[in-house]
Amino acid sequence: MTQYVHERAKNGHVGAGSGIVDVDVHPVPRSAEEIKARMPMPWRDRYQGERRAFFNNPVHGTRLDSKPADGPAGSDPDLLRAQLIDEYGVSCAILISRTFCNIHPDPDYGIAIAGAFNEWLADTWLSEHNADGVFKGSITIAQQDPAAAVEEISRWASNPHFIQVTMDSGARIPFGQRYYYPIYEACERFGLPLSIHPGTEGMGINHQPTPGYPTHYIEWHCAMSLSFQAHLISLLTEGVFERFPGLKVVFVEGGVAWLAPLMWRLDSYWKALRAEIPWVRRPPSEYLFEHVRLGTQPLERPDNDAHFAQLLEMMDGERLLMFSSDYPHWDFDSPKRAFPHLSDRVRERIFSGNARDFYGLT
Amino acid sequence: VVSHVVAPAVELPPGTRRIIEVEGRSIGVFNVDGRYYALRNACPHQGAPLCLGSIGGTMVESRPGEYRWEREGEILRCPWHGWEFDLTDGKSVFNPHRTRVRSYQVSVRSPEHADPSVETFPVSVEAGVVVVDI
Repeated sequence: MTQYVHERAKNGHVGAGSGIVDVDVHPVPRSAEEIKARMPMPWRDRYQGERRAFFNNPVHGTRLDSKPADGPAGSDPDLLRAQLIDEYGVSCAILISRTFCNIHPDPDYGIAIAGAFNEWLADTWLSEHNADGVFKGSITIAQQDPAAAVEEISRWASNPHFIQVTMDSGARIPFGQRYYYPIYEACERFGLPLSIHPGTEGMGINHQPTPGYPTHYIEWHCAMSLSFQAHLISLLTEGVFERFPGLKVVFVEGGVAWLAPLMWRLDSYWKALRAEIPWVRRPPSEYLFEHVRLGTQPLERPDNDAHFAQLLEMMDGERLLMFSSDYPHWDFDSPKRAFPHLSDRVRERIFSGNARDFYGLT
Repeated sequence: VVSHVVAPAVELPPGTRRIIEVEGRSIGVFNVDGRYYALRNACPHQGAPLCLGSIGGTMVESRPGEYRWEREGEILRCPWHGWEFDLTDGKSVFNPHRTRVRSYQVSVRSPEHADPSVETFPVSVEAGVVVVDI
């Protein structure tokens, strides 16, 4: 991994203490007004804080105890600090805004939403609520317009509190395709990893990665790792990591248990079909280990803990996994309770070391 | 090393191959454009009759989006799963150091220099015989 630690990281300006690194935490504006205020016309008039239209959790989408008196869940930095940072000894929370900007048919609208959220995050959680630097941010991009996404990345890349780029796995074409390359080039150039987060599959202009639409939230939610698998296969087979050897990708919020069989399958087919993709010079899993990490949440938890240990061993989870809680969402993984017992060494890697290496946190 | 006569050279012209049984082993002997190769007829993957596979070239390693077709006539593809093997030495293309199939020396000799073999063929002195050394 060392050769991929980027220059920003080497400079060591990204402080993160020595506690847990949580790679998927969701800050939320207190109201749509905070976003509207950072939008130019005509978007300021149009934006209503709209969320995705379907597959909302029928029980509750966020932890009920995470809702402050004066706003939605995840909107109060002090409450989040109490429930996550202080409660579990998190020394670095990587914030990912849920903007849903990539569902819109109008790319200009998506760009405006992404830009406003980035400005809001920079103005609030990453500065006025961030005296100790515990919060690190993700530059949200609207992948409807890769050139504009590159501009947005350039706009924030010099802010030391933005430590990655994020885009949603809801998409119209797989992520290995050349349409996206300007984005990857920018990530590589600025030394910013790319975090891929699900949630807009089947929404707006994006395909649903099942044969047609599922009926229920439980089906849709369970199937979110399907788009991750499709994107990962695409990234590996299209040779994206040969084109952009400095690019690093993390998939968050799609679980982890699907990875090992996919890796075996891809390596196995590559032996027969490598001539079709001659730029993939080595077994695809080698690129995976060098360039890709997975956030752990929502962690699959077999009834038998021994099976979980086998799972970790099969995918070299000690090396590939980075803890994520998904606070304040309903399927939050507690740093204390989500995992079965881990050895001190494995626990250190998954809860801290892997993310510190990946992001160059000091 | 024991030499076995495979066939009169005229019976193994360019573009043909012959599967022979020698000492209980199945071996494929190929004539590709006048060059002779012999490989064990068993894929190290799952035991397929490797020497029934197609012969061609391959896309050698390249940069993304670049296509370089090389080694025409030197790559044998397993008829089952399509693994590629180098006809010249039996090494797999995807992992030549670890995955390989046994290869054998083949030559054309005049009949009188060929050792008496398990199989003999009526041959003319002028034509020579194809001999595989096991």
